[in-house]
Amino acid sequence: MRANAARGFGRQAWDRFRRHRLAMASIVVLILLAVAFIVGPMLSPYAFSDQDFTALNQGPSLAHPFGTDPIGRDLMVRTFVGGRYSLRIALLITVITTLVGTVIGAAAGYFGGAVSAALDQFINLFLIVPSIVILIVLASRYGSAPNAIAVVIALLIWPSLARVVRGSFLQYKEQEFVLAAKAAGASTARIMFRHILPNTFGPIIVNATLLIGTAIILESTLSFLGLGVRPPVPTLGNLIAEAKGALQTKPSAALIPGAFIVGVTLCANFIGDGLRDALDPTSGKD
Amino acid sequence: MLAYATRRILATVPLLLIGTFIIYWLTAISGDPLLKFATCTLCDRSAYDRIIELYQLDRPIPVRYLNWVLGAIQGDFGPAISQGMAEASAVVFDRTLNTARLAVPAFLIVVVLAVTIGVYSAVNQYSRTDYAVTSLSFLGISLPTFVFALALQAGAIWLLNTTGWRPFYVTGMRTLASDGLLDMLRSHALPVLTLVIVITAGESRFQRAAMLEVINSDYIRTARAKGLPRRTVILKHGLRNALIPMVTIWALDFAALLGGSLVTETIFGWPGLGPLFVGAVSVQDLNLVMAVVMLTSVLVIVFNLLADLAYGWLDPRIRYE
Amino acid sequence: MATGAAAPLLEVEDLAVAFRTDDGVVEAVDGVSFEVRPGETLAVVGESGSGKSVTALAIMRLLPRSARITGRVTFDGRSLLELPDERMRTVQGADIAMVFQDPMTALNPVFRVGAQIIEAIQVHDASVADEDARERAVELLTLVGIPEPRLRVDAYPHELSGGMRQRAMIAMAISNRPRLLIADEPTTALDVTIQAQVMEVIADVQEATGAAVMLITHDLGLVAGTADRIQVMYGGRIFESADTDTVFYRSRNPYTLGLMASIPSAATRTSRRLEPIPGSPPSAIALPSGCVFRPRCAIATEACLEPPALITVPGAAEGAEHLTRCHRASELPGALLAASPEGAR
Repeated sequence: MRANAARGFGRQAWDRFRRHRLAMASIVVLILLAVAFIVGPMLSPYAFSDQDFTALNQGPSLAHPFGTDPIGRDLMVRTFVGGRYSLRIALLITVITTLVGTVIGAAAGYFGGAVSAALDQFINLFLIVPSIVILIVLASRYGSAPNAIAVVIALLIWPSLARVVRGSFLQYKEQEFVLAAKAAGASTARIMFRHILPNTFGPIIVNATLLIGTAIILESTLSFLGLGVRPPVPTLGNLIAEAKGALQTKPSAALIPGAFIVGVTLCANFIGDGLRDALDPTSGKD
Repeated sequence: MLAYATRRILATVPLLLIGTFIIYWLTAISGDPLLKFATCTLCDRSAYDRIIELYQLDRPIPVRYLNWVLGAIQGDFGPAISQGMAEASAVVFDRTLNTARLAVPAFLIVVVLAVTIGVYSAVNQYSRTDYAVTSLSFLGISLPTFVFALALQAGAIWLLNTTGWRPFYVTGMRTLASDGLLDMLRSHALPVLTLVIVITAGESRFQRAAMLEVINSDYIRTARAKGLPRRTVILKHGLRNALIPMVTIWALDFAALLGGSLVTETIFGWPGLGPLFVGAVSVQDLNLVMAVVMLTSVLVIVFNLLADLAYGWLDPRIRYE
Repeated sequence: MATGAAAPLLEVEDLAVAFRTDDGVVEAVDGVSFEVRPGETLAVVGESGSGKSVTALAIMRLLPRSARITGRVTFDGRSLLELPDERMRTVQGADIAMVFQDPMTALNPVFRVGAQIIEAIQVHDASVADEDARERAVELLTLVGIPEPRLRVDAYPHELSGGMRQRAMIAMAISNRPRLLIADEPTTALDVTIQAQVMEVIADVQEATGAAVMLITHDLGLVAGTADRIQVMYGGRIFESADTDTVFYRSRNPYTLGLMASIPSAATRTSRRLEPIPGSPPSAIALPSGCVFRPRCAIATEACLEPPALITVPGAAEGAEHLTRCHRASELPGALLAASPEGAR
């Protein structure tokens, strides 16, 4: 028991994370899914747009585990490729949001004043005009490429992360180690990035992980509505859109990509929850 | 209180203007109505001129926007090009009623359900029910609305195909007036269920967290030390305090309901605001887009204001002059 | 300050409380036995983690369900620990009442102070009409010294100052004339000047109702003037127990003596340095072996690797028992004086 004090913060965090069994399982599952998405299509005898005219519109079978679409394309390959794109877009969204949100949130928290007020107004703006509305308008105009849709979505969700970072910076800038650094002559940038920022990694990482789930859901919803990524570039969302007409005869074509969306999001959420327990055990969220 | 409300509303006006302008501008530059005429061989010059006049294409966008604002203040949102030139405000109004048929019952059910689940889960923390509820709510927040809606739809269709039994309609809206009570309920069931499940999943977590924090408070211990029965402690002392943060969540959930309805209506073929808006954006029917945006924004502002006022009413530590 | 030779009001026998945590079993209270006589004031003194609050909460049955409580608690002849919940509720707030440390968080912020007092009255006697209960609330507020009680009865907790809030909580606690009032660090959250006022209120209330008071605190100096008997706790055990005079002038326990050396006092010679006890109280998860005070004790020896039992100090006055837990009790205070140059007192 005494050993607790001797272990470093990272080790303690990892121990706490390990106790969260669902989070641990989710890491494994997520890795498996990612591998399937990336490597799967390479291993399949079918290419992404190969058409097998002898097997049109089939349900799941040995030859085509996820079935085929109306023009004979293997759905397993398409689903995995779609998964690739969805995952890539979600990660891109997360990275952009985290970078933008952290920078602006840090500035708002540390300097307060105009930056903080502007952030508030941004947040209010997105509250007043429902973001879904803005999202649809932007996406329909600019969102057809995967990178574009990532930017569009990131543009809308960065305020929530910025708010978290702002709160963190506000909390830490009053603490004594900042005063000590200032007294030692450290520059503002150094104080912010070298001293305060590492303390805020915890909440940032937790929120960023949870953002992955939000990002996937937003992107797939937009793609499903036809406003995001459009065919021929597949994402899990527009694959479902393609298959929705056949719900009567072949629900698997729509539900299987849907299951993958849920799977990835669920894993991301469990991991985020585990990270929260590990990095911020006092956050009180049970 | 009234002064506070007025000030709050006034404070939102500038943001409202900025927000609506952004959307106006984005939609306006999205497409060129004149493009249609490039390939229209039967059209004559007068139709061309009419379009220009209608859309005021000879004026710069800010001016067009201002004219729109002037009209909007008086309740005139202009004609909806994609709806046969019907009054945009009238179209939006009709569709809003349809959306309300889903949103209002869903909201009420969500509130009751989330509070019940959240309270029970918090009071019986670590019980098997609590774990089950927590896991299900994790699943719920990981489930995109459209996936769940499709799953429900697929399920109902499967049921029909295998047993010939059709307890619920999977598309279309049926009303009391035209189709009778039973059919109305059968058509409302699946869309409302979709909204309820998806939103309750997220909300019950907040309610549970709020209730947990309250339960571990000192004043709950004092209440028990006074010899109060358990139910009184939980409901009168506990829930009353836990509801305070929930009120803000409910206002946010209303916005979520709008978004969720959008997708749900599309899938269930419901003639509500959702499909209307998506369609309007796709064809750049500016007036219709703006009318919907105004409506949703105003609703969100009103709900947020109500939530704030309720917050002040529930928590005596907050008093607005 | 009455002391009764009558039968004890509260008898605690071998009370032990254990919690199961992620890091193991925590024994917060380990075999504590004591009694409280009618009308007397018993001060339970100890640092944080000594188990003093947990003892009180165990008596009141306010601990979470995960706590494992063993032993016997008898109040007025009735065993409390085995009472079914509904029966215990008739005791809570009526026979035994409790006042907590921080009145800002211990009072419900959304209800008026008067309403909370009225609730305490009506839950134990549903026949009391609202107006009568309200009158009683005003009387109680007057008793505890709150000015303008008719106005204050409708105030919300946050509208009162810290001292007022604590008085209101005391008023609420005595609303049903409890025979035992447990006050858990009632002054810790308050300013020093207010502390004295609240202690006076407790004394007044005790005189008016004849209730016994179990005063829990970490501040030995606070209870010098008000307690009949003092019980010093450390590491979940009782380390010394005697009447106030004996504890202050004839203590036979190095921990108690150490506590007294660390009290600032206007009466001491200005040249005396405050002597804190080195180290900090043990975490209940990892109690030291042998005597739990051994790591911080100035006179610990090999013998202290064996945990000492609670023994009676011979020669105590009639009817006033003096118990202490130390192998070297008979050598005190001499041994301690020799060990520390400044002297223990």
